[in-house]
Amino acid sequence: MGSSFANQAQPVPVPEDQSLSPQVNISGVGAATFNVAHSLASGGKTQAGMNFSDSALVVGAAQRLSTLSGIGSMGLGLLTLDDTVSGKASQLFLHQAFVDFQAERFEALIGRSDNPTAHVVDFPTIRGDDLVTLTNPLDPYSNGKNSEENRYSNVTSVTLNQGLQTFENFHAQHLIDSAGIGTEQGINSFGASFEYLGVPGMEPFSRVPSFGFGYEHFTTNSGGKSGLNQIYLGGVVNLNTSVTNRWDLRFQDVVGFGSGLWAFQSVTDSYQADSNSLAASLRYLSSPFGSPGYQLALTAAGKNYFKVDRSRSYGAALTGVKRLGQGFDLVAQYMGQYRDRALAVAQSSGIAYEQTFEVGFVFNFDTTLNLHLSPRRSILNQQHQYVPN
Amino acid sequence: MKKIDSPQSNPSETDSPLSRRHFISWAGAGTAAIGAGVLLGKTPSALASGVRDRSHVPSHPGVPPGWANAFQPSSTLPEFPVREAPKMGEKIHEFTIELGISVHEIVPGVKIHAFTYNGTYPGPEIRVPEGDWILCHFTNRTPEIHTIHWHGMILPNEMDGIPNGTQWGVGPGQTFNYLFRAQPAGTHFYHCHNMTNLHVQAGMFGALIVEPKEDLVKKVFSYTREYTLLLSEVDTVMVERQMEEMLKMMGTMEKMNDDPKLMKEMNGRMMGWFIDKKAFLKAVEEGYVPPYVSAQRGRSVAPNFNFFLINGKSYPMTEELHIRSGENIRVRLVGAGASPHFMHLHGHDFWHVCQDGTPLQSPVRLNTIPIFPGTTSDIIIQGTNPGMWHFHDHSDLASTNNGVFPGGMMTMLMYDDAEEKGVRVPEIVQVSS
Repeated sequence: MGSSFANQAQPVPVPEDQSLSPQVNISGVGAATFNVAHSLASGGKTQAGMNFSDSALVVGAAQRLSTLSGIGSMGLGLLTLDDTVSGKASQLFLHQAFVDFQAERFEALIGRSDNPTAHVVDFPTIRGDDLVTLTNPLDPYSNGKNSEENRYSNVTSVTLNQGLQTFENFHAQHLIDSAGIGTEQGINSFGASFEYLGVPGMEPFSRVPSFGFGYEHFTTNSGGKSGLNQIYLGGVVNLNTSVTNRWDLRFQDVVGFGSGLWAFQSVTDSYQADSNSLAASLRYLSSPFGSPGYQLALTAAGKNYFKVDRSRSYGAALTGVKRLGQGFDLVAQYMGQYRDRALAVAQSSGIAYEQTFEVGFVFNFDTTLNLHLSPRRSILNQQHQYVPN
Repeated sequence: MKKIDSPQSNPSETDSPLSRRHFISWAGAGTAAIGAGVLLGKTPSALASGVRDRSHVPSHPGVPPGWANAFQPSSTLPEFPVREAPKMGEKIHEFTIELGISVHEIVPGVKIHAFTYNGTYPGPEIRVPEGDWILCHFTNRTPEIHTIHWHGMILPNEMDGIPNGTQWGVGPGQTFNYLFRAQPAGTHFYHCHNMTNLHVQAGMFGALIVEPKEDLVKKVFSYTREYTLLLSEVDTVMVERQMEEMLKMMGTMEKMNDDPKLMKEMNGRMMGWFIDKKAFLKAVEEGYVPPYVSAQRGRSVAPNFNFFLINGKSYPMTEELHIRSGENIRVRLVGAGASPHFMHLHGHDFWHVCQDGTPLQSPVRLNTIPIFPGTTSDIIIQGTNPGMWHFHDHSDLASTNNGVFPGGMMTMLMYDDAEEKGVRVPEIVQVSS
């Protein structure tokens, strides 16, 4: 029992000298919409309800390290899950729990965090997992109930960089194995990726402000054999050079191969079978005074399986956002997804066409307490010598 | 009350029509004497004799004769006409100053990105004789907008260095040539006048010494060495953050300048610049949210200075002052930053001889001198007490490095002959108490 009023959260290897107060970062997203969902299957069904999934809170701490001119940090975050997982939408998912070290030339991260394959492009839908089976590289160990398993994983990664502009990520993962395929809790995936990020703050003026590609190998498939692979690439292209009226195109292609599956027995099979997913979005952002005013986006995606018949899928989302204030948006979205018969049986209880209209609010914030570290990927650090403050 | 004596080496002072004794008896306090001494500058005294002809100064009935005789509204007229061009035979001192972005180390382990004149923080000292001309070619090699304001100079309005005031700001890659006559004599400084709070913290200031035709201070005190100490402070986090924001904004402006379509589209409103008040109000009606309202900014956070600097360095990396027994040294103190500082010398009194460049009517004996933002004070330290003595801001916060004592705005007065005089104090560098 410690003598201070607040005890340590957990025992640590070196319990002495806990007095340094790090920089603390708290960020959150509250996404709450009123939904009207309609399914076309055996007579059709319409259902209305509230959706507050993908609301998240992340608490992080960071401090300058006295050795190696580095910065050490940690993050812990939770997000709310969809109805399909929780039944009553009451479950939280641990999507961030990592410790990170970064120096000028590299960054090393261990823990639960973003799946390195899943965030090459973030599409401008209300929630990150909207149209997830079409817009994300999928977790071939997932049973499909929790879409977040495609987006977050247990990961160990090292990311090298050149001028904080190009990044090579080498990682090993334990993808969440809700389908119970693997026989152990160890590494079930590894891969490498490359990413380019333009000069921070200057994104509107670059033709291609960001792009990336990568390769992922999965150690086990449903048949207990090794050989599943994914390659993926994506990026953002500015269609015009403007600050007040921006048009951009986001694109992503994900190819899965090496599974040997010719039919779906489960959702998991549909995540493993050889396929090609192509997704793109056209976005218009109006910023009459330099900060966002409103945004319209059309996201469309399609997927076909190389070996499984009657398994094509298409989806689209039309998303409108009106900024009411800093970080507070009025949102509305129409989203529909069609699945061929074989895929519908595997993924959506035989429902071929699902559509949803939703309207609501999204609030996001990102605040820093005890501020004493500057953003790592800054123009100053990129162009005028790296200073790890 | 502290007894204030005249320096022994100033026998002519008692000959002054406004003697020290007169002045003190009227002012009544040493601190008042400092301020009043400024008002009395350039009056005929030992230090100021010959600087101005005061034969026309009227006396005012009912007012103590010394002060009234000295006070004359026209006395701040410059020595030379301001709005004239250099004439044949007059000397022009040419300087080239390039502004860039560098990394500056305040103390070991603490580096910041900085705006630096010719790569140094603070910028190089400019020193010219009074009445000569200064021609400064200022080139901006940063993406930001800057100027140079010549603080304390009496010069043509167009050379004063106020962006969007007396000149357009000097943009990226542009050069502005400042030309003016060096007057009045004394200790002055120069600094950027665009976003001054940020840019001065980021290093954009330097000393400007205009040497008088006749150095009355030297005549009286015969000093052999002199030091210029630019006092400032910095919030290292604020500088890093705001420089980054500025770079982003200026990067946007640069793109705008290169593209007529963007220029038309952004139309100044992007930056919060409006052609007049009417245009500003119209923009607000159309949905523009000014950056200062809480909906945009939350609650503002004032700078939280964490390093206090002498010539850009904090103790123990500040430069020491050297002196020998019997020697006089002149120390020029410049309030270049945003906070007042109260420089205190251990084991000595010193003479406050000039304020804002102007010799005081009577030197004032002090051991602590306030240096307010934008002011300069020259002092004479006399080598009377061998040893190693602290010279520091007595506002205790400023004697710290990021909150750790000792540090900050502190240096040492080091006697070169301390050992000869039997004082054996080891030089200890202490960075933690």
